[in-house]
Amino acid sequence: MSFLGFGQGADIDIILDDAATRKQAEIKTEDGRKEKLYLFYDGESITGKVNVTLKGKKLEHQGIRIEFVGQIELYYDRGNHHEFTSLIKELARPGELTQSTSFPFEFMNVEKPYESYTGANVRLRYFLRVIITKRLTDTTREMDILVHTLSQYPETNSSIKMEVGIEDCLHIEFEYNKSKYHLKDVIVGKIYFLLVRIKIKHMELAIIKRETTGSGPNTFNENETIAKYEIMDGAPVRGESIPIRLFLSGYELTPTMRDVNKKFSVRYYLNLVLVDEEERRYFKQQEITVWRKPDRAKKPVIFQQLETRKQPETEEGV
Amino acid sequence: MPPSQPEDQEKLLEEASKEVKVQAFQMKRCLDKGKLMDGLKHASNMLGELRTSSLSPKSYYELYMQVCDEVRHLEQYLLDEYQKGHKVADLYELVQYAGNIVPRLYLLISVGMVYIKSSQHSRKDIMKDLVEMCRGVQHPLRGLFLRNYLLQCTRNILPDTEQEEDGDVKTGTVEDSIDFFLLNFAEMNKLWVRMQHQGHTRDHEKREKERMELRILVGTNLVRLSQLETIDVNRYKKIVLPEILEQLVSCKDYIAQEYLMECIIQVFPDEFHLETLTPFLKACADLNQTVNVKNIIIALIDRLAVFATRDDSTGIPDDLKLFDIFSDQIAAVIQARPDMPPEDIVALQVSLINLALKCYPERVDFIDKVLETTTEIFHKLGLEHLSSQTPVAKELIRLLKIPIDSYKDILVLLKLKHFGMVVEYLDYEGRKTMGCYLVNNAIEQNTKIPTQEQVDQILLLVAPLVQDQVDQPQDQEDPEEFAEEQSLMGRFINLLEAETPDQQYLILTAARKHFGNGGNKRIKYTLPPLVFSALRLAYRYKELAEEDDKWEKKCQKIFTFCHQTISALIKAELAELPLRLFLQGAVAAGQIGFENHETVAYEFMSQAFSLYEDEISDSKAQLAAITLIISTFEKTACFSEENHEPLRTQCALAASKLLKKPDQCRGVGVCSHLFWSGRTIESKGEEIRVGERVVECLKKALRIAKQCMDPTVQVQLFVEILNRYLYFYEKGNDKINVQILNQLLEKIREDLPNLEDNEETEQITKHFQNTLEHLRMKQEADNSDGPSYEGLTL
Repeated sequence: MSFLGFGQGADIDIILDDAATRKQAEIKTEDGRKEKLYLFYDGESITGKVNVTLKGKKLEHQGIRIEFVGQIELYYDRGNHHEFTSLIKELARPGELTQSTSFPFEFMNVEKPYESYTGANVRLRYFLRVIITKRLTDTTREMDILVHTLSQYPETNSSIKMEVGIEDCLHIEFEYNKSKYHLKDVIVGKIYFLLVRIKIKHMELAIIKRETTGSGPNTFNENETIAKYEIMDGAPVRGESIPIRLFLSGYELTPTMRDVNKKFSVRYYLNLVLVDEEERRYFKQQEITVWRKPDRAKKPVIFQQLETRKQPETEEGV
Repeated sequence: MPPSQPEDQEKLLEEASKEVKVQAFQMKRCLDKGKLMDGLKHASNMLGELRTSSLSPKSYYELYMQVCDEVRHLEQYLLDEYQKGHKVADLYELVQYAGNIVPRLYLLISVGMVYIKSSQHSRKDIMKDLVEMCRGVQHPLRGLFLRNYLLQCTRNILPDTEQEEDGDVKTGTVEDSIDFFLLNFAEMNKLWVRMQHQGHTRDHEKREKERMELRILVGTNLVRLSQLETIDVNRYKKIVLPEILEQLVSCKDYIAQEYLMECIIQVFPDEFHLETLTPFLKACADLNQTVNVKNIIIALIDRLAVFATRDDSTGIPDDLKLFDIFSDQIAAVIQARPDMPPEDIVALQVSLINLALKCYPERVDFIDKVLETTTEIFHKLGLEHLSSQTPVAKELIRLLKIPIDSYKDILVLLKLKHFGMVVEYLDYEGRKTMGCYLVNNAIEQNTKIPTQEQVDQILLLVAPLVQDQVDQPQDQEDPEEFAEEQSLMGRFINLLEAETPDQQYLILTAARKHFGNGGNKRIKYTLPPLVFSALRLAYRYKELAEEDDKWEKKCQKIFTFCHQTISALIKAELAELPLRLFLQGAVAAGQIGFENHETVAYEFMSQAFSLYEDEISDSKAQLAAITLIISTFEKTACFSEENHEPLRTQCALAASKLLKKPDQCRGVGVCSHLFWSGRTIESKGEEIRVGERVVECLKKALRIAKQCMDPTVQVQLFVEILNRYLYFYEKGNDKINVQILNQLLEKIREDLPNLEDNEETEQITKHFQNTLEHLRMKQEADNSDGPSYEGLTL
């Protein structure tokens, strides 16, 4: 390549202004590894500079620009990326660079409506892309950034309380203290046994992530069990109430995403499973909403107890 | 899960134990290297072995102990880490990510304890959290051990103060500890009870056994509660006990109820029990019908009784109506349990009596109240004539024996109005047993019965020993036993002893009435002592002659009484016994010498004679009887010649009329004494000494002896007669001389060698030799006072 362009190659580096101070966060890559990326929130400006380091003496180009792209990639439709955001800044008019040059850039108050996400069938990513347009092949450089969408405290956050059962066989009432949990939250609850005629061996609570892609007849659902947590050992009798306490921060959760750009959804369910001695499973799924709470100084949440069969209070907004 | 064989158990345990060792080793290695997370992971794996369902409680316990031992390393490590300044707070969350609940909760407890030990600050919350979270393990065996681990870990670190320490609300107070133990107790008990209802019904007994092995785990909660020093009577009364009882009553399980009620009694102090008797006993009434409530109440009573009598105790407070409370509550318990076996009801009364005796030894009325209650219950149950082999009768006898044993005084017993009524509920055998026991007690204690009323009461109480009963079995009693029991009554009569002789007379007539109805079999044992007692009374009047001018009349009355009594024996077709009694009476009458005594004595003697003549037919008995009559008569001095003469003649006549010659011979021989040492009024108490008649008798005896066919008997009789001759010779009967003696000696010497050589002959020879020896000594003694033995051919 270099001899074609007579050694007119160049290295491109994108350097954020606040690289030294900006927080980084991890995200899974497609191949399952984790990478650390700079973390941005909705509305935050992205500023920095692009360093073009010449490899030869000069560089002819048809123009240099930087793009900020937010796109959704469906794995089954590789060639077709859906960009929901695309901002372009011109860094240089077509011409010639005779020395390495640094171009400052600035995307002010960029809308970043969705959270970065890497799933089983879909990926939502944001990146900066620098393109040096040339006659033959463009030189490009991409830099992924990570976006977290922060939510306010939900205005209503009622508990989930429900009586379920199989007639004359099993009758339980369960209660989770909230319907909306933030990522570092604790699920506190209780299972109250109203009728037990089966020999229960144990009971567990699972967190299931359901990723839905496509629409209409081409809808794909991908379920993944994020957590499997035994909450009861042995067979209870009528009148027993079993406490639930599940810390969420240890699991890899994302906020709930509903119908992101009409392309995909990620939803979470709590699945209460009772297993009897014949390995029959009785379960009840309940959707919960997971949301991201702005970071604050973290205090250990150790005791969050639900008083016996009392309606939990709705958490006040901050 | 199939029931596993012992060898399987061994193998399973071994495998689990091996895994625990491996994981423990890894855990320690990681901790040594400071790899806490890895250490926790291995700890969790190790604790995961406790998830097994295939071990028996015994094997599970062994595994549990091993695991606990290893977990201690982790705790120590965490404590050290804390002291180095590391925070444990995050750990409390961290260990909760363990997916399996059993290892998770063990870890949580361990970390929680480290947390409490390192800072009291969150103690209250942690305690509450742990005891609450353990609900997640509903498997009985695993849950019991988990909660036991919780108990074990919290030893000595729970709050035991009225107020929060240092004003920090989160350190908790004793009330938090109480809540903690009460909740843990309730949960453990539920698990323990549930064990019974899981698995196959055919393993019912095995499960009961296994549960018994585990009971201490549940009981530990109560022990730990009792060790809280800040629990005072009030807290115990208002919080602790009501909660425990509610749990116990509602669980409806008899094993739990029996064991834990006992636990309550044993672990909490007496002072607490005294304050909470009513609720405790009320709960007893509500327990499962199959619970042996009796044992529980008895245990409590025993404990309080010991407390009341202990030296260092303050005793039962005066304002506490201990007896009334027990009495009422026991009644309520009985009321609440229509199926309670009557023996248990009685056993409760037994314990009540024990309580009354130990705590209120003065209150006879308490005992009586118990007896009254017993009769009421029996009446309600429609019980009567309880067969003495039944448990209830045995229990009832136990009940009745208690006041006997403790008062050791039959007179106190008579103050119990309902004692007799209770006795009445027993069958014949039972009443008799009680009677014997009572009488024996009186005899052992040598309790004198001083009034007629008391005599009446007692004899009614022991009626089966006195006379035939309506419900008496038809078949013959064991004669030996009968004799023994009637002899007992005979001995008892000697205890009837009033202070004044007039009273004594009333007693005797009263007793006579009772015993008189005893029938022929009994009176031969009971009437003779009455006669002797009456005779003693007569002597007593004689002593009091100067104080009581009517004594002679009274004596006459006594002798009439004796006469009637003895006659009753004759009617019972007895002969020798009344004969002897008449003779005894005659002697007494003679000695006492009241007005008209001679007539009385004569009557008694003549009665003896007529018995001899009419009733005694056996020749041996005849000889014995006439010998007795003669010797008795010989001792009397109260007869005038007018009466003496026919009597002695009668004696001589009777003796000579005996059937067998040797008997005749001996009888006449004995008779000879009447003419020598007999006394009459005319002789003024001196012996009459009619030597001539004596010799006549002896000659007659000799004559009869000669008529005996058997040479051995003949010689024997000769030797005997020789001795009589010698006796009278020595006494100075001048109608006997050396010549007569020599003749007799000669005769014996002649005949003796001809006898067959046998044991009898040897005896006779010896008798004779002794006689000769005696004579030789007399000869040598050269006694100038006595008759001369000169010329006696020895």
